[in-house]
Amino acid sequence: MVCYNCGCHLSEHNFCTACRVDVGMYKKIMALSNRFYNEGLEKAGIRDLTGAISSLKQSLKFNKNNIEARNLLGLVYYELGEVISALREWVISKNLMPEKNIADGYIKMIQSNQSKLDTINQTIKKYNQALNYCRQGNLDIAVIQLKKVLSLNSRFVRAHQLLALLYMEGNEWEKARRELNKCIKIDAKNTSTLRYLKEVEGMLTAEEGVRLQPRKKELVAKEAVTYQSGNELIIQPIGAKEPRGVPTLFNMGIGIVVGLAVAWFLVLPARLQSTQAAIDTQLRTISEQSDAKTATITGMEQQIQDLEEEKRSLQEKLNSYVGKDGTLQAMDKLLSAANTFLAQQGDVIAVSEFLDGINIQEMGASASPAFITLYQTLTQRVGPELATTYYDKGYSAYKQENYQEAVVYLEKAYQYDTANGDALFYLANSYRATNSIEQAKEAYVKVINEFPDTIKANKSQVYLAEINNGN
Amino acid sequence: MINFEEELKKFHPSLEIEDAEDAIHSQDLTDVADILINMLKIQEVMRHRAEPGNQERQGEEVTV
Repeated sequence: MVCYNCGCHLSEHNFCTACRVDVGMYKKIMALSNRFYNEGLEKAGIRDLTGAISSLKQSLKFNKNNIEARNLLGLVYYELGEVISALREWVISKNLMPEKNIADGYIKMIQSNQSKLDTINQTIKKYNQALNYCRQGNLDIAVIQLKKVLSLNSRFVRAHQLLALLYMEGNEWEKARRELNKCIKIDAKNTSTLRYLKEVEGMLTAEEGVRLQPRKKELVAKEAVTYQSGNELIIQPIGAKEPRGVPTLFNMGIGIVVGLAVAWFLVLPARLQSTQAAIDTQLRTISEQSDAKTATITGMEQQIQDLEEEKRSLQEKLNSYVGKDGTLQAMDKLLSAANTFLAQQGDVIAVSEFLDGINIQEMGASASPAFITLYQTLTQRVGPELATTYYDKGYSAYKQENYQEAVVYLEKAYQYDTANGDALFYLANSYRATNSIEQAKEAYVKVINEFPDTIKANKSQVYLAEINNGN
Repeated sequence: MINFEEELKKFHPSLEIEDAEDAIHSQDLTDVADILINMLKIQEVMRHRAEPGNQERQGEEVTV
């Protein structure tokens, strides 16, 4: 025990040896608190939970810091089914002594199980509802509700008591006794339980007395022999003989046959029906599970198919970049073009064969700055000459009405010299002639936009109108 | 003889989980030990004031 003033450990003296404060009365209060705790512990030990609650509350009135008393009070509440009251005591206990406190374990035990906590809350709500029904006079509904409460929490003494009270009100004394006996098994000395039980026992004894009286009179009327043996009254009927021999066996046989018939016609079909229902339910469940799995498998198969498709397209893309020996084709072609340009000065066609194989737009970000610079340098060096050569060839093919060939050359001519409006115009005409309508339209639009106020542009407008009109 | 209506009045609604927090906060935790300690402290202050030389402070309110 420590001094309330300075916190030093107290000795056997009635004053604090450290700060000289009088602690005689304080010690007595602490002793009283402990005494009530011991009393509460003893009462809890013999299942007098109501008595234990009273003693433990007294103990805490003297010393709120009596952690053992508070934890035990919580435990007693828990045993009575009053979980929230139990939690309240344990939470206070934990706040008063945060370290090495057994209440911590109790709180965790309840809080860790969410479903249990939900059940507890549901139980309490139903109990309160049942109490409301009682107050409104809906006793039948209250009984049903309380039965539900007790199926969820069979230790809820207050619910047992209320149910017993309702049975008593409905003169169902036997049921009331059963509920009260359950209460006594949990809390042996609850005053209300004992009072109700006394009333119930009284009523049951009176009922049995009323029931036995006419039977007694009947027996006497049958000229039974009655005699007193000590304190007991012996009543022996006259002429009552037990049947023996063949009739007994016959009766037994009939009994067995009737029993078998009942089993065959009543019990067996019911059993079969219930078994069939159980099998049906099981089958339904399995079928549902199977459907769900099938759906999952289908989804996964689709996913696999998509992934394979993606993989194939990526592989193709990669193959287009990579040459036979594993090096990048574009890089290979650019180097070959550069080599050809350096080795065979003036052979622009040979250079263009390599440059044509490179699509700089498609390469996008994958092309390095050095690659792009080299490509542009080569294009600038050979471009004008190439453009002229291709234009000459293309125009010659166009004049000879060889439009397929004209398209090939004129496309390259325009590619290397985008200022060549004639190349673009003849290309558009070649497209139109080879029935590549969409490309022809695009090319005419380009001529109109890029070379306005020229004869080509005017002609392009006319041809475009013709195409759009379906001529 | 037990009176149903009277007995029913003795039953009170049980605390629900939502009310647990309020129940904990509203719990009066004052115990006899607290009251005694307060009394002893007041007694100590009174004795201190009664001593010669501390007379002028007697008018002040006792706060513990």
